[in-house]
Amino acid sequence: MRISVCLTIICLCASCAEPRVPATVIFAAQYAGQSLTCDAQHGVPALTDLRFFVHDIELRAADGTWSTLRLANDGDWQQDGLALLDLEDGSAACPNGTAEMNAAVTGTLPDGDYLGLRFVLGVPFDRNHADPLTASAPLDDSAMHWHWRSGYKFLRAGLVSGTDGFWIHLGSTGCEGTVGNIAACRQPNRARIELADFVPGQDTVVVDFSALLEGTALDDGEASDCSSAPSEKSCKAPFAAFGLDFSSHRAPAGQSIFRVVNR
Amino acid sequence: MNRILPIGLVAVVLAAVFAWWLFPDRSYSWGIDGSLPPPAVPVDNPMTDDKVELGRRLFYDTRLSVNNTMSCATCHLQALAFTDGRARAVGATGQFHPRGAMTLVNVAYASRLTWANPLLDRLEDQALTPLFGDQPVEMGMSGRDQEIVEMLRGDALYAELVSRAFPQEQDPYSIVSVVRAMAAFVRSIISFTSPYDGYLRGDNDAISESAVRGMDLFFSERLECFHCHGGFNFTDSTTHANSRVDRIGYHNTGLYNLDGEGQFPSDNTGLFDMTGDRRDMGRFKAPTLRNIAVTAPYMHDGSIATLEEAIAHYARGGRLIEHGPNTGDGRRSPFKSEFIRGFELTDVEQADLIAFLESLTDERVLTDPRWSDPFSMSETATP
Repeated sequence: MRISVCLTIICLCASCAEPRVPATVIFAAQYAGQSLTCDAQHGVPALTDLRFFVHDIELRAADGTWSTLRLANDGDWQQDGLALLDLEDGSAACPNGTAEMNAAVTGTLPDGDYLGLRFVLGVPFDRNHADPLTASAPLDDSAMHWHWRSGYKFLRAGLVSGTDGFWIHLGSTGCEGTVGNIAACRQPNRARIELADFVPGQDTVVVDFSALLEGTALDDGEASDCSSAPSEKSCKAPFAAFGLDFSSHRAPAGQSIFRVVNR
Repeated sequence: MNRILPIGLVAVVLAAVFAWWLFPDRSYSWGIDGSLPPPAVPVDNPMTDDKVELGRRLFYDTRLSVNNTMSCATCHLQALAFTDGRARAVGATGQFHPRGAMTLVNVAYASRLTWANPLLDRLEDQALTPLFGDQPVEMGMSGRDQEIVEMLRGDALYAELVSRAFPQEQDPYSIVSVVRAMAAFVRSIISFTSPYDGYLRGDNDAISESAVRGMDLFFSERLECFHCHGGFNFTDSTTHANSRVDRIGYHNTGLYNLDGEGQFPSDNTGLFDMTGDRRDMGRFKAPTLRNIAVTAPYMHDGSIATLEEAIAHYARGGRLIEHGPNTGDGRRSPFKSEFIRGFELTDVEQADLIAFLESLTDERVLTDPRWSDPFSMSETATP
């Protein structure tokens, strides 16, 4: 008992002593290598939405160990290790959106050199299924809550090109229990993203809609969508992009939607 | 004596306080007689008349939609037992819902809400989907929570209603208050005064002889109707304050069979959409049959226009669709309920059955001013 207390104190002191430095991971959206906004430029599709939750953000130090990016609680976008990214500004093709944007997660890391980033796209189980009416930021946004599926949309994204478009709502499905009292979900659909060559301070993480739309023609005049239903054929390609196996809904494959781009 | 009296008084007062605490909806009357159980109410949202009145305003307030064109009542009209007469509901921006608006009468007794969502058992949670959902857009308030709250704050009438409905809350202007009040209002819509109910209470003349014969048919093993549409609320997904079990039923009635293997149209696969379990294909909740004569068209997608057609569907033991994208014989669906076996009815029997179903229409619930549009009565409150 005493030993463990001492160890705890030593560890605490060690962590106090450990110098931490601010670190930021910046996100951006692209399609075919071009930046996306809600306001379509010539020849580039317009974003209709792009908001998503990330948690368990870690960076890999030179010695191969992973350090958690300790998020600052800003009472708005970041709280208790969970962050909401918002790359739409509510203008033009994004009428359901908000003027406020949040393109980066910020926190602190032990001082050092890092190469490699990993995070989970989603909301941790307990918080995903807690009562949305009493949730605090960033989980207090009715646009992100998936009221009839009992959890949150981990990601809501959409693109429009002329009359054609695509949108996806990614989240847990096949949940058992009742709202506020969910026991488990058959398809958790949390995507584990790892980007081996990410350098903080130098690189941007790009949400690549080309990967999301792989195999989907954006100009065939047929709008398509995916709301994460286990049988939804239009979810097959986007799920592959997230590294989520569409039939088992586990994550055995590599993801392709997030890419590292030098700033 | 002098010492016992005060102790007795204290005990009585304590008991009263305890009872008051134990039964928070003490002042609320459901308007039902003792033969029926009261609905179950979430402990954090006890019924009060003030809350019901606030909920009624909100239910009829078009400012709760993105373009001020629709309120809850747009799809839930009192005269149609709080349905809208459409096959599929239409949202504020013109988007069609895959399914039709369900009746709200006696929804307080529903063990699960909507057509096939096993996750939804509280009206407070359900209300969030029409308000904020965006696939499809219903009232279209996704991300506009604050607009609703500001509207309440800025309206003198709501200031009074909100403070009366939520006297204990520090800041009662919230979406929580909105959905709690709306849920309380919807829960208050109770109907047990149809001619059939009169007959049950001993008034033999309340329904026609034809309806009595239809009732016998309805509750017969030959027709099997009551297996799914049984109990005091004519649905097997019924719960109440004294329920000990979670009664919930989802059934495939052989409406579709697109591929010979039981497939339903992709936008309406029923419980399967929620669970991903193939055995849940085409399973929907059996809705209450109370007021069924005024809630046409029928089925989750309004694909059956009349009661006669609905009976013909069950009589055949599943629907045959011979043309179009939904071609297939529902009778042969591998997922069809064991109770959909088919039956034959004479013309008189069919008329009797319909007479019985019509006896479930409660004129009072369709007209009672307690559940009517408050804005249509007061000039000052019109938004």
